[in-house]
Amino acid sequence: MSTKEIHKTAPKDKIPNGQKFAYGLGSIVNNLLGGAIGYMSIVLNVGLGINPALVGTLQAIPRLTDALTDPVMGYISDNTRSRYGRRRPYIFIGAIFVGLVFALMWQLPEGYSEMFYFWFFLIGSIIFYLFYTMFATPWVALGYELTSDYHERTRLMGVMNFMGQFAWITLPWFYAFMENDRFFSDSVQGARTLAIIIGVFVAVVGIMPAIFTKERFVGKDKEIKIKNKLVEGLKKNIALFFKGLVITLKRVEFLKLCAGTFFLFNGIMLVGAFSSYITIFYVCGGDKSMGAYYMGLFGTVTTISTLAAIAGVTWISSRIGKRKTFIIATAIMMFGSLLKWFCYDPMVPWKVIIPAPFIAVGMGALFTLMGSMIADVCDLDELETGERREGMFGSIYWWMVKLGMAIAFGLSGFLLNGTGFVVDFGGAQTSSTFFWMRVVDVGIPAVGALIAIYSVASFKITEERSYEIRSELEKRRSKLITVEKIAPST
Amino acid sequence: MKKRFFVKIRIVKQISVLFLTALLAVISGCGDSDKDSEGTNDKETIVITMIAKSSANPVFISAKTGAIKTAEALTEKYSKLKVVIDWQNPENESASEQAEIIRNVVKNGTKAIIVSCSDEDTLTQTINYAVDNGVEVMTFDSDAPNSKRFAFYGPDDLEMGKKLMKELAGLIDGKGKIAVLGGNRMANNLQERVKGIIAAAVDYPDIEIVGTYYHPETEEDAVAIMTEVMKLNPDLKGWAMVGSWAFFGERLKSVIEPGKIKIVAVDALPMQLEYIEKNFVQVLLGQPTFTWGEVSVQTVIDKIYLNKKVKEIIRLKMIPVTIKNLGGWSRQLRAWGYENIPEKYLVM
Repeated sequence: MSTKEIHKTAPKDKIPNGQKFAYGLGSIVNNLLGGAIGYMSIVLNVGLGINPALVGTLQAIPRLTDALTDPVMGYISDNTRSRYGRRRPYIFIGAIFVGLVFALMWQLPEGYSEMFYFWFFLIGSIIFYLFYTMFATPWVALGYELTSDYHERTRLMGVMNFMGQFAWITLPWFYAFMENDRFFSDSVQGARTLAIIIGVFVAVVGIMPAIFTKERFVGKDKEIKIKNKLVEGLKKNIALFFKGLVITLKRVEFLKLCAGTFFLFNGIMLVGAFSSYITIFYVCGGDKSMGAYYMGLFGTVTTISTLAAIAGVTWISSRIGKRKTFIIATAIMMFGSLLKWFCYDPMVPWKVIIPAPFIAVGMGALFTLMGSMIADVCDLDELETGERREGMFGSIYWWMVKLGMAIAFGLSGFLLNGTGFVVDFGGAQTSSTFFWMRVVDVGIPAVGALIAIYSVASFKITEERSYEIRSELEKRRSKLITVEKIAPST
Repeated sequence: MKKRFFVKIRIVKQISVLFLTALLAVISGCGDSDKDSEGTNDKETIVITMIAKSSANPVFISAKTGAIKTAEALTEKYSKLKVVIDWQNPENESASEQAEIIRNVVKNGTKAIIVSCSDEDTLTQTINYAVDNGVEVMTFDSDAPNSKRFAFYGPDDLEMGKKLMKELAGLIDGKGKIAVLGGNRMANNLQERVKGIIAAAVDYPDIEIVGTYYHPETEEDAVAIMTEVMKLNPDLKGWAMVGSWAFFGERLKSVIEPGKIKIVAVDALPMQLEYIEKNFVQVLLGQPTFTWGEVSVQTVIDKIYLNKKVKEIIRLKMIPVTIKNLGGWSRQLRAWGYENIPEKYLVM
């Protein structure tokens, strides 16, 4: 028997496949909502003639409101007690309303001024993001608490991440759909119809996690229940909210995961545009259609590889643990980033797709393992504070991801300018400009990956520690669950 | 437990049916009724005649590639549109031949003409004839501003001339004798470039322009006149060339010593890359000539098919080509359809 043992998930801790699937449907909705506005906003400029700067502002302002609403929603959900649970009522109502608002906000009438459209869309966006938060924050938190088993969490996150990829496959087709003159007279009409389709899809599919999943913590903690009857007033709730926020932000293991995600994900996001620019202007010499072809091919290979990587990572994680799996997957991604240097070859353009599978391994692993590891942190947090605060952890984590993305998008333009890139020159940039573009494109994700490895390497909640925590929690709940163990070779 | 499960399944089924019904209703109800009533296979064919100055001038190769690629892309994008490019040009530069081509294609039913005018005066009347007969006309590269053409796509030639002067002044430290190679005296665009050079020279009091020299637009004529001017002015410091006819072949290499006389010129074609590499010429103002075809065809379709408002003057931006971006420019040329570009430039 090997010295290392693998915990076998007890039957009672297994999430039925139907529930996993239902939870995964939420992932499709979540990703669709997260990406749809970005992919459809081109219509505001191309179809309605709104200044691109105003379009950028329209996308930025509602993100600022997220900074407040996400943690507040997390707090509200954590402290809700109802016969239907802490999460599912919000998911159900949130999905219906976010679908409705999304469909309505794109019904832009024709013939109005630029500022009319600006305010119409801005107000619509703010309301949309409120309901989006109402859906997404409890849905994320629900995933952290569906099972208390260390490995089953990873499997759930694997299913969720796997299914969520289908939204990312669909999103790039939105513009082609809206511009399709077989169906629509113009892209604005296309956007109206697409928004209705998405709205209906979101409302119908988004409620599935609320209907088909089962919450583990439903209105049984009297202490918290009393505390949150609102009789003690709004003041006390605000104080509790900030107290919870501070405790969350002081949780070192959580911060390690945040740092790992921030540097890994945003390293990729920061140079997201660079790969396209280098492929189009360096590898393809400014031939946009050829560049688009290779970028499309890169995207396809990445998507397929990501799906495979998620399945692989989920399986490997159950053998060697989450931390080690994360480190290996991130190292593979770092290798893929470095490989780009040799694969940007103007004489052999197809080589640009070679790094894609390696990079996909890291990205596939990231949100599969992080979700699962945050759930482990929530257990540790409960052990030390006596409260289940998945909503708060989930909202802060995703707020950090969104904030990082916003910073990355903001900085990427400056970074591109810093390389000396002049858009009017097309493929005729100087050799020095191309050199620095490649350095940034290769270097930043590689350094980000290195920092992510460093951050997560000292993550203390190992498989063994996780089961210890669980055991203590169960003891505390006077319900000790014996965890069955088997050796890997037997 | 099982009963509850089946109740849930039934709910899902009902929701799914409702969803699919709604989806079908939305898709079938939201299409453009006018367009839907048309047969999807009935494509409207729009023939656009594009007329270059001459087949002898390689600068138009990528314009043709740009026009054809854009036509293909538009045909693919719009289900009811087929764009066909009818590429025509005189063998050697001749405004009267261009005028004849225009008259012929008007009779043959072309929908639009895009032309680079060899001579503004000769073509203005013919362009007006085409427009009066229901054919939309757009100019590129060289304009006929007093005609009824609806748009022009090309550089601001006056600004281009100024840019040439500024680049040359920088190379000769703002002092010394220079000469201007002017090409075809009748071409409106070249005249504007020369005006720009002379206007910008005012800012450099220590620079003396010894003369502006016009010539037929061939390598032989350009090099011949350059040789003569350099003989007459042995202390000549630089050339400002409004075109790059002198680099169309090898002749110039035996006439000047690399780097001794500084040269800035308009256009940067594949045969001129070696002149940059070997320092015969220091700056070429490259025109993204691919976009002559790309932007012009798109503009015509915007105007006559999509009924969009289009700008009358659409400016093309010049790209300075030096040894620093020789590799990038070479790859760009390859992407625009030029062949046989030496690999040593492509990997720079």
